[in-house]
Amino acid sequence: MVKEINVEPVTRLEGHGGLRIVIGDDGKVKNAQFNIASTRFFEKFLEGRYCEHIPRITPRICGICPIPHHLTPTKAVEDAWGVTIPEPARKLRILLQNAKQYSSHALHFYALAAPDFLLGPFADPALRNVVHVISKMPEVGAMALKMMDFGQKLCADIGGKSVHPISAIVGGMKQPMSEASRDKFLAQVNEQVEFTKKTVEIGLKVVEDYWDVVANVGVVPTYYLGMTNNGVHDIYEGDIRIVTPEGKKIDYDVHNYLDVLGEHIPEHSYATHMYYKPAGYPDGIYRSNTLAMINCADKMATPLADGALKAFRDKIGPISHHTFAYHWARLIELVEAIEMVATLLQDPDVVNPDCKTLDVQPREGNGVGMTEAPRGNLLYNIWSDADGICKKANLLVATNHNIAGIEKTLMHVAKQVFEDKVLEGLKLPDPWID
Amino acid sequence: MAVKVAFMQNSDCWGCHQSLLNAHLGLLPVLPALDIVYWPAVVDFKHDSLKARPDGDILVGFVEGSLRTNADVENAKLMRAKCQLIIAFGSCSCYGNVHGLANEWDIEEAIKRKFTQVESITDESPHEPKEHMPGFMRKIVPLDEVISVDAYMAGCPPKPEAILSAVQFLLGQKPQPMADLSFCNDCSLNNESCLLEKYDLCFGPITSIGCTLKCTDNGDPCVGCLGPAKTVSARAEKLKAMTQNIDQLSSGDKKNLHEFLTLFLNVPLMSGFDLAGDILKQVRRTGQPKTALANIPADTGDIYANLMKYLKNNREFIKISNVCDQCDLEIGSKSRMTKVKRDYEGLPNKTDCLIEQGYLCAGPITRAGCGGMCMRVNAPCSGCFGQTAWGVDQAERFADVVTKGFNVALSKEELLAQVKDKLGFMEKFTLATNKNYR
Repeated sequence: MVKEINVEPVTRLEGHGGLRIVIGDDGKVKNAQFNIASTRFFEKFLEGRYCEHIPRITPRICGICPIPHHLTPTKAVEDAWGVTIPEPARKLRILLQNAKQYSSHALHFYALAAPDFLLGPFADPALRNVVHVISKMPEVGAMALKMMDFGQKLCADIGGKSVHPISAIVGGMKQPMSEASRDKFLAQVNEQVEFTKKTVEIGLKVVEDYWDVVANVGVVPTYYLGMTNNGVHDIYEGDIRIVTPEGKKIDYDVHNYLDVLGEHIPEHSYATHMYYKPAGYPDGIYRSNTLAMINCADKMATPLADGALKAFRDKIGPISHHTFAYHWARLIELVEAIEMVATLLQDPDVVNPDCKTLDVQPREGNGVGMTEAPRGNLLYNIWSDADGICKKANLLVATNHNIAGIEKTLMHVAKQVFEDKVLEGLKLPDPWID
Repeated sequence: MAVKVAFMQNSDCWGCHQSLLNAHLGLLPVLPALDIVYWPAVVDFKHDSLKARPDGDILVGFVEGSLRTNADVENAKLMRAKCQLIIAFGSCSCYGNVHGLANEWDIEEAIKRKFTQVESITDESPHEPKEHMPGFMRKIVPLDEVISVDAYMAGCPPKPEAILSAVQFLLGQKPQPMADLSFCNDCSLNNESCLLEKYDLCFGPITSIGCTLKCTDNGDPCVGCLGPAKTVSARAEKLKAMTQNIDQLSSGDKKNLHEFLTLFLNVPLMSGFDLAGDILKQVRRTGQPKTALANIPADTGDIYANLMKYLKNNREFIKISNVCDQCDLEIGSKSRMTKVKRDYEGLPNKTDCLIEQGYLCAGPITRAGCGGMCMRVNAPCSGCFGQTAWGVDQAERFADVVTKGFNVALSKEELLAQVKDKLGFMEKFTLATNKNYR
C-alpha cells in the first residue's frame, strides 16, 4: 500500500512550509516534497514605486531578517544610479548587518533548533519548544533572551526600528549612531562576548553528544552558494562564490548572476528552486545559509571566529556536506558577528555625521545588490527609469536559494529513515531536560 | 489555569511575532499564564490538532498576515471557529499591508511576472505551481471582511510593549480595583443635580468607587479612570438609555468619550489597539474566569458596547491622534515646502517638520501608536499604522491637510502633480481596504 506522510505545517520555521513523503508498496521512498504555499508578488508590485522607497517596503519580506532586506535593495539602487556612499555609512551598515546576524543566529540556535537537541528527537511535541526550555533552564534561557535583546536593540538604535528598519537611504545612512547610544552598547559588549563563548560551549557539547547523527544522517553532497570578499567571509559585500561538491571554489562578479544562478519553477512550491546554472537542474542544486558560507570562506573576518573555523575543519575537513553541521557553522558566524560588533563600536566612524552623500541623481539602468542574510544569500536586481521609478525588480531571497537543497536533503534523509531504518541504530545522548 | 491562546500566520513576514519576542525578558511573567495551543513559529502543534479542537475552545486567537492565498482565508475561518476572541494582529490583517499594493493589478498579471517572466527563470514553459498549492485570492482584503474581529492591533509591526499590554489586558493580568460599589455611591451631587439629568455623559454609575479627585465636585462628568465596578448604581439605566441614543447628544456632551475609552478598561488605545463593539458580550457569555472582562456587570458591558458601536461609525469622537502628535519636529517652522523633494535629496535638519522641508511624510494622515519612531532618524512616516480616516481619497486628503495646516507654498494641485507614485506613498499599507481597487 502506498503511504503518504504529511507534516503540515513544518514548525519552528520562519515561513510557510509543509513536507510530503510518499512511500511505495515496496517500502521505497518514491517522492519527497517541500511545499511552500505562500508568496506575495513583490516582483510585481514594486513596479511603479519610487526606487528609494523600495528599501522601506521590502523589509516586509521577512520580519526575522528585515535588515538585509533593507540594505540589499538600497545597494542595488545605488548600483543602478552609480552612487558611492561615504565610508562611515558603509561601516554603520556593516555594524547593523552584524547586529542582526547576532540576534538572529541566537534566536535560531536557542528558539528554533535547541529544543530538538536538549529534549531529544523523541520528546513530547507539546514540550519541544523554547518556552519549555526557558522554564527548565532559566539561566540559559535568560542568557539567550539577553543576547537577542542586545542585537535587536542595537538594530533599533542604528536602524530606527529593529523590525522593518528605516535608516538606510540611497546615498548612505539617515544619521550616525549617537555617542550616548554607542557608549551604552560598548559597555555591554564584553558581557555579550562571554555569552557567545558560553553558547559555543553548549553548541559544541551538543555536536559531540549528537556526533553519530551529525556524521551519518543527512550527509548530502551538493553545490554551495555563498559570498566572500577576496576569499574572506563577509555578510555585507563581496563576490558570489560557488563551491562544487568536490570542494572547488569559483568566484563570479555579482553583476553576472544570471550566468550563474538559474531559477526553476517547480510544480509543487511557490518558492522557486535555484540551482547552479552551468551544472543544470537538478545536478546543480546548491545549498545556501551558514554551512554554505563556511564552506565558501577561505578564512573568517575576525580572530576568534577564524579559530572556530579551523577547529571545524580539523574535525570535518575542508568541505562539509553534513546537514546537521549547519548549527555548528551558525555558531562560527555568531562569534564573527559579535567580534565585528565589538570592533565597529570602537570605530569613530559609526558616530561620524558624514554618512550621507548629497551626490545622488537617478539615472536609467539596472543595479544589483547582494548581502548574506542570516538564513542565506540575498540578491536584488532593480531596474530604474531616468526619473528613478522602478521599472521592474528581480528578488532572489534566502528561501529560493535554500528550497531545492532542502528538498534534496529531505529525499536523502527519508530514504535513510524509511528504507535503511537509520534511526534504529543511532547513538543518542540522554536528554538534557525532560 | 493558563489561558489557551493560538497564533495563526497567514501570508506575511512574521515580524509581528519577532516584535512580540522583542519584549524578551518582559515575556517571562506572561509566558506561564499562556497555554499556547498553536504557534507554528515556536511550538510543534500541527494544523490537524487545531482542527480537532472543539469550537470556541481557545480564548484568544491572534491572526497575523494578509489573506493572499485561499489557504489564508480557510485559516482565518478556522481560527474564528476555534477562538472566542479574534485579534487582527498587525497591519497585514488590519489593512492588507504592502502586499495589498498588488491589488493595483489583476492577480494574473502578478502570477505572470513571478512565475513566467522573472529574468532568472530557465524553464522553457514555466507556469504557476498547482500541485498541493492553495491558489490565490483575486484581491487581498482585510481580515474583517472575511470573519468578524474582536480587537485590532495595528502597526507594522505593533510595538512590543503594546502587544504585551494587550495580552495582559486580555488575560486579566492588568490589575484593576473592581470595587464592589460604583462611584455614584460617593458622589456629592444628589439626584436633582446629577449630571446625567443634564444629559452630560457621566460614567459614574459603572465606575469603581474610591477616587480622591472627584471630577463631579467641579461639575465635570466622571470619565471612568478607576475602571469598572462589580455592581452598577441605579443610574446605570439612565446612562444606558443615553448610549442607546447617542446620536441625539450634542458633540459637547460627547467630549469625554475618548477619555472614557482610554481609561476605563486600561486599554492602550493610543498604541494602535482597538476593541470592536461586542468584545465584552463575547467574554461574558463564555465566562472565562481568567479574564477580568468576564466579571464586568451586564449593564456595563452593554454601555461599553453601545459606545464602541457608535464610535466605529463616528470616529471623530475618538480623538484619534495622528503621527504628528507624537513627532518632535516643529510644524510652522522656518522651513517652507516649495517643491516636493525625494527622500534621497539633501539632508533634512533635525528640528523642522519634514513636510515643511519638502519631503513626503504620511504623518498627518496616519494614526498614532508608533511614538514617531521614523522621524527620530529623519525618515518620513510611510503610514504603517493605517490612516485616521477611511473611505476617502487619501492623496486628496493629504494634499488638503498639508496645504492648509503646514508651511507649504504649493497649491493642492501643484503638490499632487509632483507626486509620481501616489498609491505607493499614500496607501502603501492600506490599498487592500480601498474598494476602488477590487
